[in-house]
Amino acid sequence: MSMDHPGGFAVAPACAFQRVVKVVANHQVAHETFQLTVDDPAMAASMLPGQFLMVRPPGGSDPLLGRPFALYEVERDDKGVPTGISVVYTVVGKGTSALSRCRQGDELSIWGPLGHPFGLPPIEGEVLFVAGGIGQTPFLALGRWWLGRSEYGGIQVQQPARSATLLYGIRSAEMAAGLSDFKAAGINVELATDDGSIGHHGYVTDLLRARLARNERPAKVVGCGPPAMLAALSKLVAEYDVPCDLSLENHMACGFGVCFSCVAPIRQSDGSTDLKRVCVEGPIFAAHDVVWS
Amino acid sequence: MADFSVKLGRLWLKNPVLVASGTFGYVREMAGFFDISRLGGVIPKTVTARSRAGNPTPRTVETASGLLNAIGLDNDGIDHFRSHHLPYLRTVGTAVIANIAGEDEDGFVAMAEGLGTEPGLAAIELNVSCPNVSHGLDMGINPKAIRDLVERVRKVCPYPIIAKLTPNVTSIVEVARAAAEGGADAVSLVNTFKGMAVNWRKRRPILANDIGGLSGPAIKPLALRMVWEVHQALPGLPIIGVGGICNVGDAMEFLVAGASAVQVGTATFGDPTVAGRLVDELGGCLKELGAATVSEIVGTLRSNKS
Repeated sequence: MSMDHPGGFAVAPACAFQRVVKVVANHQVAHETFQLTVDDPAMAASMLPGQFLMVRPPGGSDPLLGRPFALYEVERDDKGVPTGISVVYTVVGKGTSALSRCRQGDELSIWGPLGHPFGLPPIEGEVLFVAGGIGQTPFLALGRWWLGRSEYGGIQVQQPARSATLLYGIRSAEMAAGLSDFKAAGINVELATDDGSIGHHGYVTDLLRARLARNERPAKVVGCGPPAMLAALSKLVAEYDVPCDLSLENHMACGFGVCFSCVAPIRQSDGSTDLKRVCVEGPIFAAHDVVWS
Repeated sequence: MADFSVKLGRLWLKNPVLVASGTFGYVREMAGFFDISRLGGVIPKTVTARSRAGNPTPRTVETASGLLNAIGLDNDGIDHFRSHHLPYLRTVGTAVIANIAGEDEDGFVAMAEGLGTEPGLAAIELNVSCPNVSHGLDMGINPKAIRDLVERVRKVCPYPIIAKLTPNVTSIVEVARAAAEGGADAVSLVNTFKGMAVNWRKRRPILANDIGGLSGPAIKPLALRMVWEVHQALPGLPIIGVGGICNVGDAMEFLVAGASAVQVGTATFGDPTVAGRLVDELGGCLKELGAATVSEIVGTLRSNKS
């Protein structure tokens, strides 16, 4: 297991920590979808796009485990100094339901930063983010980072990407979360919905396919979303031979590599397949290395 | 300063707080969270003779105050453990108890013999109780098999031997007695309870393996009952209590019920620094009972019926 990112950044769990923090805000941003901000200057100063943290109400035993959330944005004060972390989540079960009831000033137990971050952007290239469901959440910070608009973990991208576009697939218009955040960050947004209530009526991968068919070839594609979408995306980028990374969202119990719940089949350099822990060996993998059944 | 040290047969621990196998990885994953050397000892994930891929996913599902798992002993095998993990484990500054699972008696004996030649271990814990592998429980529910196994392992391995027992038996006392007769220095009570979680809409079990082992606070009363019963029947057999320990109060319950040490397990998943905090808080609890040592409170629980 590698603890070092290819880019040389020290990463979790070697530098992860746990603490009880205060909720700064927890407000609804779309149907059944909330943005939670917690006060933690230290984690805010060290977290990189693509990394995640685990969050849980402290004490009590139900829910028993934390829930993993990608870094959505680092909150900063007027001088740009990191003060807190924001995540965006959809209420799907008892853990996220309990979180949705948190109010300003409540305490939460958090641990992170966890997982490997994204690497550096293709210089002067166009990047496409392909998101399904709640998979848009890693792409706000990543877009800001790669466009050179903000530093993360003290790292300012010196040779930014030329443009960033989010292809965002959701069930219907009411699920669209944070569109103004993406636009304010200079990230273009194109929507696809299952019911046609906004944007393209169909799969988000249709949007990518149309671009590729028009010979609009991005320098890099990054995907995050449900397995079926990621499998379709992997097939598509392989067909057009476009470099693509995926951020996997596998079910986790601990988030730091000790429970062995979140394993995914990953192709090895010798051609064999090995089960890798998404939390410590991912969550970012090259699309061509992820094996879909 | 209170004396936190405990002795379990030939095994001496500086304090009674251990972390359970399968919930602390190979320890290096935890090093960033707190000072591991404060623990009484660590028990890394079960190692088998050959590498095992483990079960398909989903491998875990959270239930009411509990966690159901069917990981399936995913590990890289004993050779990798000895060459890759042991050198690191020797540096963690506390007792290291290797946990092994053999495919059969010979498999256990061969692994224990190999580990017996490795410096820097404090003890060997025999996982004769994994509910998620086909052979795991067969041995664990058979008192004679356990007695024979412990006896043979003791002959080839100089380290103290702990048998980690399954609760999925009619009489835990009978199984614990067999381990004691075989020469076990201690027994770990208990491994997970066989259980199941169901998605009725899909009419499917949630775990890919259909059934799994239940751990977490949900099983604490069940584990306590077993520790208490075994301690009553076999007061000379050191017990390591494990099952749903989430705070120092839980640990104290196991100690007074008859455990000489405890293992923090599933709680680490949802509270990574919990085992370290438990060590810090033990002194306050001893003081509350007017005790100067951990050993003087072990098994001091009195029945309401006596």
